[in-house]
Amino acid sequence: MTPTDQLYQRLRSNGLDFFASVPCKLLDGLLKRLGDDDDIIYTPVSREEDGVGVLAGAYMAGRRPALVMQNSGFGNSVNAVCSLLNYYGVPVIFVISHRGSPGEPVAAQNVMGDAVAGIMAASGVRAVSIGHPDQLQQIDAEITAAFAEGRSLGLLLPFSFWEA
Amino acid sequence: MTGLMRYQIFEKIMDRITDELVICTIGQPCQELFKIKDRPGNFYMLGSMGMASSIGLGLAMSTGKKVVVLDGDSANVMNMGAFATMGFNAPGNLVHIIVDNEANGSTGFQPSFTARNVRLDQVAKGCSIPNVTLVDRADDISPAVAKALAADEMHTLVIKAEIGLMPGIDLLPIGPDDIRDRFMEAVGA
Repeated sequence: MTPTDQLYQRLRSNGLDFFASVPCKLLDGLLKRLGDDDDIIYTPVSREEDGVGVLAGAYMAGRRPALVMQNSGFGNSVNAVCSLLNYYGVPVIFVISHRGSPGEPVAAQNVMGDAVAGIMAASGVRAVSIGHPDQLQQIDAEITAAFAEGRSLGLLLPFSFWEA
Repeated sequence: MTGLMRYQIFEKIMDRITDELVICTIGQPCQELFKIKDRPGNFYMLGSMGMASSIGLGLAMSTGKKVVVLDGDSANVMNMGAFATMGFNAPGNLVHIIVDNEANGSTGFQPSFTARNVRLDQVAKGCSIPNVTLVDRADDISPAVAKALAADEMHTLVIKAEIGLMPGIDLLPIGPDDIRDRFMEAVGA
């Protein structure tokens, strides 16, 4: 199985059933699978903060929501992450392609690539980097804990994950 | 212009509300709604300005119940991309009501974009929201709200308002956990 296939199956086996997305080249295959999945609700969103709002609404209707996005977009969502998700105890799983990680061909991506972990920490969102598809099993406990505790979780997926 | 302030428009809207879920934008609109008709099915935003339309969309896509978003003109401009996400999905159980007082009320009534030339009803139409109505007569408010609530297609109403606040409003006496818990119970998921 490709890294994309393994990721998709792991997200679904964890019961995630409402996905919103902002595209990234690394996420192309995952977004196609989500679009073909009739058992979930899936929509593209205009930007990451819009997605945070959409998914907060979905959670309050009993869904298990995830936002699929590139790391650069986390900066677009910080106010809603803090004053909506964190303040109300609404969990969203952020599935993040980590541009600017080792192997990045576009130099401009390095700026937010280096900054994102610190921004997530300052925003109170636990971030877990999954460097290889073999490490995907560890997200089961992370996702379970996030929903149990009503807090959001970031899964950072660097180039080493996608190129494995 | 309708000649009415936001809270007077809220009163007309809430007269029509029965078991609908209501998402209310941040600030004094929440305080006015709380005083007019507090109920578990009201979700009061205490932060995240601009997110009312997005929250309402995600909720409407996840429930069979009718969802009403009470929004402001400046909040909409802050999250204008949500018009595209709403138009793209256009759930038939979503009613998006923008009370347009052409000002940033909660911060001192600075004139907003719509005070000069920005037309939010045109943005909604451009994003293919199936039913968009500009309401600028007070007598048209209740019929427009009733029609939108009864419809099985998404509606956006832009209702023009005068600036001004409801007398005697105050910070909400309930916090985010209570707002969330009782709202989720009202959703019944």
